[in-house]
Amino acid sequence: MKVLAIDTSSMSATCAIIDDDKLLVEYTLNHKLTHSQKIMPIIKEALQSCNLKPEDIDVFAVAKGPGSFTGLRIGVATVNGLAQSVSKRVVGVSTLDALAFNLPYCEGLIVPIMDARRDRVFTGIYKWVNGNLHIIKEQKALEVKELIETLIERPEKIVFVGDGTLVYKDTLFDALGEKCLFAPRSANMARASSVAELAMVKANEGQTESFFELAPDYLRESQAQREYNEKHSLIGDKNE
Amino acid sequence: MKQLLKINIENLEETEKIGYILGKLLTGGEVICMTGDLGAGKTTMTQSIAKGLDVEDYVTSPTFTIINEYEGRCPLYHFDVYRINDVDEMYDLGYEEYFYSKGVSIIEWADIIKEILPKERLNIEIKKNDSIEGREIIIHGNGERYINLIDFLSKEIHR
Repeated sequence: MKVLAIDTSSMSATCAIIDDDKLLVEYTLNHKLTHSQKIMPIIKEALQSCNLKPEDIDVFAVAKGPGSFTGLRIGVATVNGLAQSVSKRVVGVSTLDALAFNLPYCEGLIVPIMDARRDRVFTGIYKWVNGNLHIIKEQKALEVKELIETLIERPEKIVFVGDGTLVYKDTLFDALGEKCLFAPRSANMARASSVAELAMVKANEGQTESFFELAPDYLRESQAQREYNEKHSLIGDKNE
Repeated sequence: MKQLLKINIENLEETEKIGYILGKLLTGGEVICMTGDLGAGKTTMTQSIAKGLDVEDYVTSPTFTIINEYEGRCPLYHFDVYRINDVDEMYDLGYEEYFYSKGVSIIEWADIIKEILPKERLNIEIKKNDSIEGREIIIHGNGERYINLIDFLSKEIHR
């Protein structure tokens, strides 16, 4: 089985193709948010480099969120369009799962953080147990200080990964000190190879979808939460 | 902290000049809210700000697309929220990615989405007066960054 995966949920525009044995190609561009112009040429390049055509791909996979709303729409629309053109199935993978998967068999907790603006991050807490990646705290949009409150109690080492580290590294280090570690550059961004790997697992379990069904998962704050924020005047100036 | 600048102008060229000077002064991350009646010159003002930001593309009103994006010295996000019925639609749009980015956001009909505008911002109100091309432009800002911006702008215009 061949899986082609892309991720356009953050700054990185990335495409990978894997088969049952190995990673055939991975192309990652981590420079400027110009995914609508860049992702198709990247996919084309990845396919052509391996002498493959879209019809040779069995499953098309995408990081379906959370992340940049515009980026997610570009990714999901691209994959749905490609799959439709060759009548194949699609798989959506959580962006945060894929980021955590960038750090295989790592000790302690893995905490992917993606910048959600205004001191908030999209995050979840993961842990490897007997070679399986477990999620131990569900994905959420959290304020950085709430995340710190959750983590400060934990005895384990904590490895942060994702573009949130570019914004909040100092804040996290100041609060958590020596027990926090930061992923190296090579692992600190969305990589389509991780998306492909998780998609392959899902596909083998029969968890594919139709290109008519796959939609972004924005992980939006609930209206109640937003109203709470507004009340506590994090934003807006209704009373002005 | 607030600051106010009122300018009476007699023709379109002057609107263009003010927009251009303002655009030159922007460094990225600013939010500019534009209000004024139909035909007041909001889009003309935006086009001139875009020129000042070194945007080479032709800037058109995003009435139907709601947001258009341009590459200049920094990204320019041009919003026209006239067709937004509920601020919830702005959340669907992912507006935070733009308002709180390193790019410049210009929002036409900004008063429609008052609740979600950042507290610190530049407001530009364009009012028609008795003559056909004459306008009163009222610029006010909240926050240190925008107060300084208005200071610079006022000095540049009167130079």
